[in-house]
Amino acid sequence: MFFKSGKKNGFEGGGLVLFESVEEAMSGERALKAGEFETRLVAPPPELRRGCDLALEINLVEKPAVERALQEREVPFLDILPIRGDAELLQVVKVTDFGEALMVKAGNMKLTFDKASGVVLNISGGGCPDIPYLHAEMLAKPLEQAPRPKAIGRTLCALMLDRAWEQSLEIRKNGNG
Amino acid sequence: MLLVCGTAPLKELPLTEGEAGLDGDILRVGGAGIPCTQGTAALVSAACKTLDYLGQPAPRVLLVGDDGTGKGSRQLYERLIEDLPRLAPRVVVLHYMLPVMGLMRRVSESASKAPRRPFMIADAAAMYAAKAAGIAREFDLFTPDLSELAFLADPQATHPAYVSRHLFESDSTRIPEMVAAAYANGSAARTLVVKGATDHIAQEGRILDTLSEPDIPALEAIGGTGDTISGMVGALVHAGYDEVTAARVAVRANRTAGLYAGATPATRIRQVIEALPRVFADHLDGWVRQAQIERAERSAP
Repeated sequence: MFFKSGKKNGFEGGGLVLFESVEEAMSGERALKAGEFETRLVAPPPELRRGCDLALEINLVEKPAVERALQEREVPFLDILPIRGDAELLQVVKVTDFGEALMVKAGNMKLTFDKASGVVLNISGGGCPDIPYLHAEMLAKPLEQAPRPKAIGRTLCALMLDRAWEQSLEIRKNGNG
Repeated sequence: MLLVCGTAPLKELPLTEGEAGLDGDILRVGGAGIPCTQGTAALVSAACKTLDYLGQPAPRVLLVGDDGTGKGSRQLYERLIEDLPRLAPRVVVLHYMLPVMGLMRRVSESASKAPRRPFMIADAAAMYAAKAAGIAREFDLFTPDLSELAFLADPQATHPAYVSRHLFESDSTRIPEMVAAAYANGSAARTLVVKGATDHIAQEGRILDTLSEPDIPALEAIGGTGDTISGMVGALVHAGYDEVTAARVAVRANRTAGLYAGATPATRIRQVIEALPRVFADHLDGWVRQAQIERAERSAP
């Protein structure tokens, strides 16, 4: 296997950004370094290879922030994937009805809102450092007025919270909340 | 010393080290004031209440501001790598921090350089990092919820957002199977405290206890109710209880604090934490006696 695991002083991020061309991969590296992301140019393993044979290894947890940084600098990329395991982010959402409130669970994140007002009552789960920050920013605000987790969060936990927030809005829109 | 390490949602908070104290619902550490909300602040607050009740010194805390950029988290990792052998805490709780596999490996190596390796607890993203880095077995205790247990049971996943769908969709009836899988693939600490509608305590692959009473479903919605369990377990182990007794007491205390606080989905974690001293006064001695009797029965030939 190309990727070294457990290398003491090497960067090991668990995620890959794939590009169509080598030029785009180089631009991507410049964009991410400017954004102070830890990253390195690598050759993707054959089973993940699409586009060119140069990719960027990133800390997979920072996928939303990496996507945002590349889009802001107009660097096209094909995909961001985990190096091992399921390539698909969890799409499953579960809903718990507490009577006056609904809890929407996406991955490891749970968002609870008041059915009548749509106000965010609580956010639980997760473990990345932007979650307490998002908790403080979103709590006690109506879902529609709360900042979008994906817009201000940076991690996969924030992305899961974004899924829960989107689904909560959908439930409200359909009059089920 | 009980050393709690994590981040706070205050961008400008520098890496701060000090003894923690509660001032109403504000957590004080080294001159900084941090609101007692979901995350490491809730964990430290629950540890403070527990140690105060037991007449023990307050926890020592390493806390840094980080809104997800990872800058604060990296400072925290570096401090631990450099200072853990010198600090030589008895118990370390690692909590909210950007998961960085290489740095977590070095933290664990550093812990082993202390005169005696601390009792190592990981929750939240510190647990994700330990599992993803393949060093879960170097830890003494993890406190996953059901979705995080699915992550531990999935040998490939490096974050709970990438767990196999069939594992994520598992309900609590499959907890024993997922616990077994987590131990089999080397992704579990020696002891697991699985938080959920029914709490499970497992050690070395065996489920030792389950608890579902008092049943307070709203606790799952309240941000911080998992953090408080980790804080109490850390405090109780530091106070000298074995980890299974500490886990039994912590999950019971959490549920009972929810009951005392009249928990609803709108309850704030500080209301649950405020109920803890009353919970301990009413129940701690009885729970410890019961746990010790069951422990003796377990170890009898």
